[in-house]
Amino acid sequence: MTGARILIVDDELHIRRLLRASLERAGYAIAEAVTARELLSVLPIEQPDLVLLDLGLPDRDGLELLPLLGAVPVIVVSARESVEEKVAALDLGAVDYVTKPFDSDELLARVRAALRQRRATQSSAAVVRVDDIEIDLDERSVRRSGAEVHLTPKEYGLLAALAAHPGRVITHGQLLRSVWGPAHAANTEYLRVTVRGLRAKLEADAAAPRLILNEPGVGYRLAK
Amino acid sequence: MNRIERRATAETLLMVAAVTGLGLAAQGRIPASAMDLLYLVPVAVAARLHGLGQGVIAGTASALAYNFFFVPPVYTLRIDDSENIVTVVALLAVAVFTSRLTAQLRSQAREAQAAAARNAALASFARQLAGSSDEAALAHAICTEAARIFAADALVVLRGHDVPLAAAPPFDRLAGLDLQAAQQCIESGGRSGRGTATLQAADWSFVALPTPSGVVGALGLARGDGRAPVDGDDPLLASIAAQAALALERAALARELNDVAALRERDRLRGALLSSVGHDLRTPLTAILAASAELRATVADAALVATLDSEARRLDRYIANLLDMVRIEAGAIRLNLEPVDLVDAVAAALRDVRGGDAVQVDVPADLPLVRLDAQLFHHILINLIDNARRHGAGAPVTIAAARHGDGVTLAVCDAGPGLPPGSEARVFETFTRLEGSDRVGGTGLGLAIVKGFAEAMGLHVSAANRADTRGAAFTLELPAVLLVAVAP
Repeated sequence: MTGARILIVDDELHIRRLLRASLERAGYAIAEAVTARELLSVLPIEQPDLVLLDLGLPDRDGLELLPLLGAVPVIVVSARESVEEKVAALDLGAVDYVTKPFDSDELLARVRAALRQRRATQSSAAVVRVDDIEIDLDERSVRRSGAEVHLTPKEYGLLAALAAHPGRVITHGQLLRSVWGPAHAANTEYLRVTVRGLRAKLEADAAAPRLILNEPGVGYRLAK
Repeated sequence: MNRIERRATAETLLMVAAVTGLGLAAQGRIPASAMDLLYLVPVAVAARLHGLGQGVIAGTASALAYNFFFVPPVYTLRIDDSENIVTVVALLAVAVFTSRLTAQLRSQAREAQAAAARNAALASFARQLAGSSDEAALAHAICTEAARIFAADALVVLRGHDVPLAAAPPFDRLAGLDLQAAQQCIESGGRSGRGTATLQAADWSFVALPTPSGVVGALGLARGDGRAPVDGDDPLLASIAAQAALALERAALARELNDVAALRERDRLRGALLSSVGHDLRTPLTAILAASAELRATVADAALVATLDSEARRLDRYIANLLDMVRIEAGAIRLNLEPVDLVDAVAAALRDVRGGDAVQVDVPADLPLVRLDAQLFHHILINLIDNARRHGAGAPVTIAAARHGDGVTLAVCDAGPGLPPGSEARVFETFTRLEGSDRVGGTGLGLAIVKGFAEAMGLHVSAANRADTRGAAFTLELPAVLLVAVAP
């Protein structure tokens, strides 16, 4: 989605400058904010399609800002690498989490995914394809190389939750709440077992997964 | 008869004589039959003031005087009328009744006085304890107060100790029978030692210090003259012991709270320091890497940019390792345990390691889940894979997991020159680089981090040369207690 508007929020001048350079070269329009206060004041004016948010802002913790940003997708770009911070950011609605120092190509890929995702939600893509797997969210059916695969309700629920946001990490808590219900938000073992079941049915090699990818301690994502 | 009794008897007889004199003086003006009522006065007064004995003396004397002076025939002692017998009996009955009533009142008053004294002593005890917050000062206050209240030597000994926490006057350590008595008292929660039913030969008399959560210790009392310091079960002693115990428990809890608060504060500071150091070191690296990516797009000398990029990345790994090592050494690791699928863990590690594609993986998809900190385990695997790749002389690295006894093992193997014999344990020491090997690169921290993280999670890690072929094997043992049984 070239031409999309991205708001960079970071208090480091060099980081903003470099992010701007690579994103502009990729064809995006860029706005910048240095503080949380500035972010909140320019947000309604700039109306960005995506926010790149540093958590360590001088005036306010980025995690506190996430709930205030409304429907704008946010990618957190932070030097904080603890699993708790990642899970907290994702649970608070961030669409992705990139740790500093980041790889520029990797960051661009995540930006593209987040923007594609935004467009996809607007037009509600009903069929998700990854390699030879086809997930039809309307028909609630899954095909592998064209042949229908039978999944248990939990397996389908989990796959659908991941397929609703391809490429995006969904936290263990989010997956457990949406598929098993809020009472089971901490039963990570359910998730592990169901992922095993899905891999056995969908992966070429269940011991070397390429479809359902694990982010250690954080969650799972569907490969793009 | 002692002096007091003689004096009381004299008073009693004097009262009877006075009433008799009064009766004689008033003779003719009051009927003779009413005279017996007058004698009620000395009987009641004597019984009230001096108890039953004097009451009976007054009653008897009154009956005799009445009979002698007023009952016809007067001036003789003859009881020939049933009415007179009734008078004598009535007077004696009044004496008994009045004296009993008085005795009761008197003992009630004595009890009330004793209770007031006890309450005053308890209140003063509580006041003294309230001023002390740490255990030693508190125990000292308990001893001083108990010594004052019971006029005896006092000490406080805690469960499992033979040296008193405090004593007044100072006391060195309990031994022999006294120590036995103290222990017995703490075990039973009752009393023991001098003046009690158990271990009476001990010099000290102990009472347990009971709290809702058990007996914390004992209060000991002893007197220089060897007499029992407290008789029977003195309610004051029980109250003092209960108060002392509660105060000691409160002090112990306060100390624990303080300790926890101090620890937490230290942890918080350390955490803040680590994350700010991490942030400060990484921010410039982020800029360098982003700049190198920009250069890649614009500068022709790709090799130069690639060097810049890979060196910056290496620096980043070293910083990560350094921070991890500080965390381990500072004991600042907080575990986030969750059931982990080894397939997931290995796949994620291979994605994060350069050249991970070349690693041969043999991790069955049906192994039990393992309760681990996913992030720490990720770092362990990355360091082991990185180590194997660097020392594997270009030959393929393999990762294999298997059931082993009750547990599971996971081995990262290389096909390099292997470890010099005898150095197997030393490789995990900080900054160890083995001589005679081609160990290049690395900070010497990677394997120390592996060991630190593994031990934090209850894993055992060992290094050995492979038996089947050339190369070294680093094996993680995941014990049965960490395995999570899952229904298939």
